[in-house]
Amino acid sequence: MTAMPSAPAHVAPRPGNGKPAKRRGSAVRRPGWVTYGILGAFLAGSVFPIYWSYLIGSWDAQVLTRDPMPWWPGGNFFTNAATVIDTIPFWKATMNSFIVSATTAMTTVIFATLAGYAFAKLRFKGKGPLLVFVIATMAVPTQLGVVPLYLVMSKLGWTGSLTAVIVPALVTAFGVFWMTQYMGSAIPDELIEAARVDGASMIRTFWHIGLTAARPAAAMLALFTFIQTWTNFFWPFIVLGPENPTLPVALQQLQAAFFVDYSLVLAGATLATLPLLVLFIFVGRQLVAGIMQGAVKG
Amino acid sequence: MHRSTRTRRLTVTATAGAAALALTLTACGSSDSDDTADSGSSNGDEEITLTVATFNEFGYEDLLTEYEDLNPNITVKQKKAATADEARDALRNSLGANSGASDIEAIEVDWLAEFKQYPDKFADLTSDSVEGRWLDWKTEAATLEDGALIGYGTDIGPEAVCYRADLFEAAGIPSDREGAAEFIGESWDDYFDAGKEFMASSDVPWFDSAGATWQGMINQVQNAYEENDGTIIATENPEVRETYDAVLTAAVDENLSAHLGQWSQDWTDSFQNDGFATMLCPGWMLGVIEGNAAGVEGWDIADTFPGGGGNWGGSYLTVPSQGENVEAAKELADWLTAPEQQMKAFAAKGTFPSQVEALDSEELAAATNPFFNDAPTGEILANRAEAVSVTPFKGPNYFPINTAMADAITRVDVDQTDDADSSWEKFVADVDALG
Amino acid sequence: MATTTRTPAPARGNTPRKPRRIGFGERFNRWDLKFSPYLYISPFFILFFITGLFPLFYTAFVSVHDWDTIMGQGTYVGMENFQFILSSPDFWKALRNTFSIFLLSSVPQVIIAITLAAVLDQNIRAKTFWRMGVLIPYVVTPVAVALIFSNLFADKFGLVNDMLGTFGIDPVGWHKEVLPSHFAIATMVNFRWTGYNILIFLAAMQAVPRDLYEAAVIDGAGRFRQFFSITVPQLRPTIIFVVITSTIGGLQIFDEPRMFDQFGRGGADGQWQTLTIYLYELGWTQGDFGRASAVAWLLFMLIVLIGIINFAITRRISTSGDKR
Repeated sequence: MTAMPSAPAHVAPRPGNGKPAKRRGSAVRRPGWVTYGILGAFLAGSVFPIYWSYLIGSWDAQVLTRDPMPWWPGGNFFTNAATVIDTIPFWKATMNSFIVSATTAMTTVIFATLAGYAFAKLRFKGKGPLLVFVIATMAVPTQLGVVPLYLVMSKLGWTGSLTAVIVPALVTAFGVFWMTQYMGSAIPDELIEAARVDGASMIRTFWHIGLTAARPAAAMLALFTFIQTWTNFFWPFIVLGPENPTLPVALQQLQAAFFVDYSLVLAGATLATLPLLVLFIFVGRQLVAGIMQGAVKG
Repeated sequence: MHRSTRTRRLTVTATAGAAALALTLTACGSSDSDDTADSGSSNGDEEITLTVATFNEFGYEDLLTEYEDLNPNITVKQKKAATADEARDALRNSLGANSGASDIEAIEVDWLAEFKQYPDKFADLTSDSVEGRWLDWKTEAATLEDGALIGYGTDIGPEAVCYRADLFEAAGIPSDREGAAEFIGESWDDYFDAGKEFMASSDVPWFDSAGATWQGMINQVQNAYEENDGTIIATENPEVRETYDAVLTAAVDENLSAHLGQWSQDWTDSFQNDGFATMLCPGWMLGVIEGNAAGVEGWDIADTFPGGGGNWGGSYLTVPSQGENVEAAKELADWLTAPEQQMKAFAAKGTFPSQVEALDSEELAAATNPFFNDAPTGEILANRAEAVSVTPFKGPNYFPINTAMADAITRVDVDQTDDADSSWEKFVADVDALG
Repeated sequence: MATTTRTPAPARGNTPRKPRRIGFGERFNRWDLKFSPYLYISPFFILFFITGLFPLFYTAFVSVHDWDTIMGQGTYVGMENFQFILSSPDFWKALRNTFSIFLLSSVPQVIIAITLAAVLDQNIRAKTFWRMGVLIPYVVTPVAVALIFSNLFADKFGLVNDMLGTFGIDPVGWHKEVLPSHFAIATMVNFRWTGYNILIFLAAMQAVPRDLYEAAVIDGAGRFRQFFSITVPQLRPTIIFVVITSTIGGLQIFDEPRMFDQFGRGGADGQWQTLTIYLYELGWTQGDFGRASAVAWLLFMLIVLIGIINFAITRRISTSGDKR
């Protein structure tokens, strides 16, 4: 589950006709406190580790050995955060993570939309087998090609630079698949035919019809790709040096500093979690919708 | 103050630091004008930029600015890795790719031998100006068979024994520095016997971990794991097995160990809980102890080390031959490792000098450390450095074999998933796999 | 994934278009029509061949050579690297660990996710709030998750052992013993992914035709009965989907075990060393790309093998007794 493109698509999102079956149990009956108890407990479990990270990060290294241990945040968070920022190249790492995530999100959307459009709406020879091939590659653990990929990157002199992280992630099979699914049902064929009859070139047709229609799915894909790249560790860890890390790689340096001061380490973990947590506040709703839409079975 | 203490606490491994040691030093005067620096201008007026890759804290920040002032045509940039391991991986990678290495690359002694396997990748740094600059064993370790020198020594990690005077006192044992040194004794047997005596009247374990103690013991063996020609003897060498049995008997059978994995979170937390009474401490460990044990009173340092002197860690500056300005880089490395400069680095970050002249300096002798009961740490560590008589041979396989050994000891002492014999068998298998 | 068939074939032009222009325009038009699709899909394929397929096959090439990370390609050694790996107890240990962690993370995860999805699949208040709530861990990077949990699971001063202590349970050696360490690592994986899978199952549940339940109610089935005899069978394709995706990722697990202690090697006795960590150790710490490639290739074949088994099972399930 580490670096796998976390495919939220089971089968096509079907805007329009994918109306969920009417709720059973009817609107009258509201579930009782047991339901909310279970949900509350699960939610607490989901949030607690993040709180714990902040809690320890706001005290000092000795907090864990105190008896009784305090359960409220101490006043050291900013001091610890400042130390973390001094110790690891935090701003650079954040910037790098942002560059890498934003770039791959953008390119993935562009290339996946193009390919998805072609697969869903255009006629060409070998389309069927090629699409099957795309789907099949989703099951291939390409991550295991690390050794040669690394050799290639060092031949090119790219090791240590963000290019080495961005290039292999320019577009994903999952992205192509996702856009194909969406385009298939979102654009009426007549629209494309009509544009063609009007003499519009292929790329114009794509631009005006395909791209416009693809927007909601493209935004979702961008979001998932962004999060996926942001949280990715294995490949950036291998190919980027300590000089030029992404956020998870820099975070790893904190612990690897051969010496564990957990208040610092967890202050760092909290800092590294904040950007996506803030993003989540704004787009969490869409994220939920995206996962559920992608999962609706056909 | 609080913040700076904690920053330092991350900067461990060999070259990091005993900054506390340096805190009491007065800043160096500007009296030293250095002649090697002037030779830097032999490059003419050509504008060049040099990069220096270090890890943890070398204390070079001000020195590099100074060098730029002395050589207006040279710009120096420092690249700092957070840990030695990371620096090692990064260097491996850039040597493999034949590009990307800095003009000067710092190397830690434990993996120096590994890089000595690739002499073509490094410039020969032999030079008259550095003759006799360092302790002999320090230079020897960076010298190739054909006499080429691939690294200039920076710092060393002479080892003493740090102890909790308050716990000694509570157990009715002499707790002053001289008395404690005598109690700890001269040999490893003495040290372990002292532990038994101590624990007879105390519940506190004698030392922190068998693995750390092993480091102290094995660094006193000339050819522990490999012959000078590189033949691996680790599994047949009776001395290795005897030492292994000795440390594990003391740690497990006699229960002198706190059974903590060094650098683990539990180990760190134990400093706050009277986790153990003594530990082996190279100079750079003082800062670690001070950080971990913040608020705990009673730490002191004894001017002794079982089994003779010992060194743990220390670094070198090398010049990879792939660089464009090898000559200029060599001059900079020469200048940085000169005694005057090393003393400034010591004042800044506590990196204990490996240069003979610096070791004899008054500044060093005058350094004390308030956390360790105002112990004359400069003098003690200088004594300890002098007591080092054996230069352990560390061949290309030293690093992996020692890692396998550390695992073997951890299995018995910390994890307790194996006994000494079964863990030894796994060690043998690990070493065989290196072949 | 029979999805291709659902893409409606574009309507064949039944009224032949009148050529509007002749010459270049026409030729361009035809060329445009014919080649544009390939142009559009080419970025994916080019990239996949360069960064996906080529490295996979080149891995096989590297694996039959001596290959030092600094000195580069050495002599051809045939199957020697594979022999070394297959006779190394570390490999088998890593294989065991990988599977154990995988099972400990995927099985409970699916069960909890389905249960929670069923809870969410009621007429509750503040639906969006709860759905967003369960998804929060998804945005925490695995490295941070691992740092947090390895603190919680610290052997002597960890919160988990403290809690166990208050119930009179002896502290567990999370960083010492094999199974506890797997459990701790699996917990990290479950923390991050359960919420995500809840949403997938929830969506699938909502798509279950309502009349099935109505029929069940008429037959007098209670809510539990309904859950087990209608919901779960209907979710089968989704369960298989979740299991397949988590297999591919789970067998390559690296981040969490790597960050479980300060050394990242998977324990002194290899208690939680996984195959990917083993690969990394061989390649980047010991500097032997030949052996690392051999491990990569073995792991690759293992995953493909499991993929084929998965596929076979999926087909059987979807062809037999599927009443939809």
